[in-house]
Amino acid sequence: MDANRREILKALIGGSAVAAVATTGMPLATQAKSDKFELQPDALGLMYDATKCIGCRACMPACQNANGLKADVGGSGGLYMQPDTLNARTKNLIKLYVAPDGHERSFMKQQCMHCVDPACVSGCPMEALHKEPHGVVGWDPKLCIGCRYCQVACPFNIPKFEWDAVNPKIVKCELCRHIVGTSATEPACTKVCPTHAVIYGKRSDLLAEARRRIKERPGFYFEDRVYGETEAGGTQCLVLSHVDYSNLGLPKLGKESPAAETRKVSDFVYRGFLTPVVVYGGIVAIVRNRWKDHLKHEGHSGGSESHGEEKRA
Amino acid sequence: MTEHWERCIRLKEPLKTKPFLIFAGIAGLGLLLGLYRELTGLGYVTGLNDGYSWGLFKNWNVTALTALGSGGYAVAVIAWIFNEKRFHPIMRTAVLTSLLGYGTGMLALGFDVGRPWNFVWLADPRTWNHYSVLWEVAVCMTSYFLLALDVENMPPFLEKMYRSGNSKKKERAMKVFNFMQKTFPFGIALAFVLPSMHQSSLGSLMYLAGPRVHPLWQTPLLPLLYLLMAYILGFSCVLLVLALSAYAWNLGWDAEILGRLAQVMSWTTLIWLVVRFADLVHRGVFGLAFTFDKFSVYFLVETTLVLVPTVMLLSKTQREAPGSLFRWTFLVALGGLLYRFTPTTLAFSPLGDYRYFPSAFEILMSIGFTALAVAVFLYAVKTFAILPASQGKIAAEEALRPFDTL
Repeated sequence: MDANRREILKALIGGSAVAAVATTGMPLATQAKSDKFELQPDALGLMYDATKCIGCRACMPACQNANGLKADVGGSGGLYMQPDTLNARTKNLIKLYVAPDGHERSFMKQQCMHCVDPACVSGCPMEALHKEPHGVVGWDPKLCIGCRYCQVACPFNIPKFEWDAVNPKIVKCELCRHIVGTSATEPACTKVCPTHAVIYGKRSDLLAEARRRIKERPGFYFEDRVYGETEAGGTQCLVLSHVDYSNLGLPKLGKESPAAETRKVSDFVYRGFLTPVVVYGGIVAIVRNRWKDHLKHEGHSGGSESHGEEKRA
Repeated sequence: MTEHWERCIRLKEPLKTKPFLIFAGIAGLGLLLGLYRELTGLGYVTGLNDGYSWGLFKNWNVTALTALGSGGYAVAVIAWIFNEKRFHPIMRTAVLTSLLGYGTGMLALGFDVGRPWNFVWLADPRTWNHYSVLWEVAVCMTSYFLLALDVENMPPFLEKMYRSGNSKKKERAMKVFNFMQKTFPFGIALAFVLPSMHQSSLGSLMYLAGPRVHPLWQTPLLPLLYLLMAYILGFSCVLLVLALSAYAWNLGWDAEILGRLAQVMSWTTLIWLVVRFADLVHRGVFGLAFTFDKFSVYFLVETTLVLVPTVMLLSKTQREAPGSLFRWTFLVALGGLLYRFTPTTLAFSPLGDYRYFPSAFEILMSIGFTALAVAVFLYAVKTFAILPASQGKIAAEEALRPFDTL
């Protein structure tokens, strides 16, 4: 046992020397990439004020048209568009919440929240889901393998999958990034909204506007706060409502994004890949001794044929 | 009547027995259904939906069953790191169960992903998302399968080549073997590091889902608990496979090896239980275990299945009786598999009104993958010298050297 312990110790020291060389420069690489998890100063988003929404749903067909999506007419027996949830044909949905006692009601615009540090982007193995300029969360069909980890990871349950397609796509709001700046100046939903319940702009401006509205009418909005300011590390789409946000499908989330928390666990274990390298070096050293011993014991010397078929005595 | 397993033998039995044909048939059906699935959308053939977008294939065949396939990894730790030499004769069985567990798991993954052709981009490092736990699992599992498991399973195959009577083949086998002799420790170390990484990462996968996983399971310690459970399930799988083989083909019963395996397993399970309970108490959610809602029931069933057999297996008399050894190990495996499965499915709550129950099609495919593993196992033990046997059972032609204790 004592010999073993000494061996393991020796191996570990040897291993860490290898590791020290191998990981020089690695922290730099990590740092260069980390800004993609932070709020960009020019981040764009939406602000939806449920108290201004009249539930006309004009934003829904506008979204379908802008994104070339076929209307989901299943819920109405084929007559008109009536999706009951976001799905592979619906990136944007206006829902109505009515409290069980009927005294409180609020509309809700359900769509991608464009998180500052999105769980879907963090989880996507191939960078198919990624952050575009201005922090917009985009999806790249060329890279997606259809693993659907984004669906498991998203705390808002937003990304949808084309379950009936042979070459299925991930469908979610991409803030009209394919038209904004070229054929349009803003996303389709904000453009058609008759009451400006949903507005488009820089996140910092939207947040300032939301705070202004809260200040103007203290006690009117739920807990006098804007949803998305800090939730899950902050989102670029913000929501205001007078109703408890958790009733609107917006879960109570901590200030830290699940992505950051997961990275913290990984960083703790991996230490910039130092741990696996050290362990590998250690195990090689241990097994090498065992192996030499084993070969000696078995009487091999390079596996020459003379040892071929003798029976064990 | 205890015997000592010392060498590996090939079973001299016709391959096409009834059990083999049944397993091969189920496997064939599963693969045919898989082919059909590739030609339609996932929605037509599975119970998956936008809320529960991962189901049997990923959560059972990959997350749960590759833990069962960690036998090669777990037993290698006893045999090579802790240097218990008597475990070498069962290493071949262990690494074969790993090859089959991982092989069929990865097959299931291939049928599960929606756009498998985009896997080609894995060849381009620019597309890699190093922060993705799933990326790490995918790359690490593939490397383990291609670089370590294949190599570890090589000796019986080389041996067969060596003994084929063809001098050219013999020469080639020796060449490969000589190369393996030099690189072997590097391979074994890889076969330790890679599974440590991806078996723990399978736990981190669900950590990203945050509050969607019930607090009785959601913890930053998921990676550690998943890794420990991979050891436990790996030990149990090797033990169960050996016990069943010994019973089916009259290999004798090496109470020393099997008892020791169960003992190491129950110690590991004790560590797992301590970590599990300490974590629950530390996070202040232990009370949730006794609310008797469905989550509490899952937790109690799973914990009982792990705890009771572990306590039993700590007793030497229980380990020495083949019947009780088998039963308790089987129950630990059941509880362990449940633990690995629960956070991904049973304790996973998406927002909104979603329900998931696997479709018959999905279940048949999933069973098909497992049947494939069993069928290939039956083929392998009748073709190559894999299963351990005592000295008395070894005919001259099967006491193979130089590869047999690799």
